[in-house]
Amino acid sequence: MTLNRPLVLYPLSIVLGLCVWEAIARVLPKALFAPPSAVLGRLAAMTGDGSLPTALLGAVQHMLVGYLLAVLVAIPVGIVVGRNVAVATAVEPILNAVYAIPPVALVPFFIIWFGLYFEARVALVFAMCFFEILINVLQGVRNIDRGLLDAARSLEVTGLALYRKVVIPAASPFIFTGLRVGIGRAVNAMITAELFFSAVNLGQMLKNSSNAFDTASAFAIILAISLFGLACQEGMRFTERLVIPWHHGSEA
Amino acid sequence: MSRARAWALRLTGIAVFLLLWEVVGRIFGEALFAPFSAVIAGFPATVRDYKLFTELAGSFQQLVLGYLLGCAVGMVLGIMMGRSALLDGLLQPWVSMMFVTSIASLVPLFIITFGFGLAFRIAIVFMAAVWYVLLVTYHGARGVSPELLQTARAFEASRLQTFFKVLLPALYPYILAGMRIGLAHAIRAMVIAEMYVIVGFGGVVYNAGVEISTVSLIGALLTIMVVGVALTETLKWLGRKTAPWYDERLQLSN
Repeated sequence: MTLNRPLVLYPLSIVLGLCVWEAIARVLPKALFAPPSAVLGRLAAMTGDGSLPTALLGAVQHMLVGYLLAVLVAIPVGIVVGRNVAVATAVEPILNAVYAIPPVALVPFFIIWFGLYFEARVALVFAMCFFEILINVLQGVRNIDRGLLDAARSLEVTGLALYRKVVIPAASPFIFTGLRVGIGRAVNAMITAELFFSAVNLGQMLKNSSNAFDTASAFAIILAISLFGLACQEGMRFTERLVIPWHHGSEA
Repeated sequence: MSRARAWALRLTGIAVFLLLWEVVGRIFGEALFAPFSAVIAGFPATVRDYKLFTELAGSFQQLVLGYLLGCAVGMVLGIMMGRSALLDGLLQPWVSMMFVTSIASLVPLFIITFGFGLAFRIAIVFMAAVWYVLLVTYHGARGVSPELLQTARAFEASRLQTFFKVLLPALYPYILAGMRIGLAHAIRAMVIAEMYVIVGFGGVVYNAGVEISTVSLIGALLTIMVVGVALTETLKWLGRKTAPWYDERLQLSN
């Protein structure tokens, strides 16, 4: 197979996929399953009149706040806990147990504590990406090559310098995996929060179009969110290559 | 660290956690965050009032359908994409797209397409599980050692024989790992779908959530947590038991 994948196969894939989608949509009633032509038309229209960008901008606010809070808490906690074998062993079962709770089931709690608006949405985003980041940071710190730490000790690198020069760089591929998986989850949480608390921004648009049986608009909004999620993850991958160029093939 | 010491540490961790929960719960009160003792004391009433176990069993019966369908489709597509560069290139962009698509965002759309019933819940759970199973199987299928396949060819194994006797056993641990990760996502998706339309276990969580006391809500969360951990650990155990040779290779993040 000598086909150049990115140049030939990917565009072909998109065209073929759209054809299959169009064919399926022609068979099914329009109210149930919109064809891609209608979806792309709605996407262009909603982008053109500014409603979709405005909603996305509103949604990004709680997503970013929740994500940044999660990053700020999860990375230091992960590093400190990961460096202490006894503490890491002791908290592991609790972490696994809490991680097993479906995050959306926490929604009633967040309503009790934070109400129905911005704070509650931030809390859900935080809950949905915090553990993802923490687990990766923990794994990264615990997997640091012992030889590296021994070398640091023999060179009498201690205290803050040890973290800055040895621990954090050595764990950074895992930290970046956590940041990347985490931002994907944050985008997920962004729309989940808008659907499960008071419906605003994208969640409101999605609910309204569904209530009106406007599947073309619903598809267009879902597509926009997915594209945004993909862009965020690729952005993180790009940052990773800039910040830690020595680490190749971080696909876990 | 010895096994005994590790277990002592884990038990200490759990004990400290429960103690903290009790103290924080007593400070905030049942309306905000019920203490552990109150949740345990109120658990029989929660089970009775909300038919907790009946609803949970019903939800899992529906989950199993969507989950197994997702596993089957994910496995087949994953193997096909892993072994064929053409299919890989053709399906990759769509799979990446589906993989990042938020399950919650699909819920309003799927209600239009599938209604509120069984088909809707199967479709949501399927969409949550299939891409994870596919991705893990795909990575496994790409990584199958060429020497294994060459050996099969040298012994003139047919394509079918190669598939069932070489490829599948080599992929088996990956498939199990994919199923384990897929299950966690299937359970999450089930709760999302059910809380949105207020049925089954998700409906229990929703209804318990609007009560004044959080005792029932926490009881329901603890139940799904125990069931989730038990099922995941069973799949892990099954993997170690039936394919001990691959345990180390599967350092996949959850």
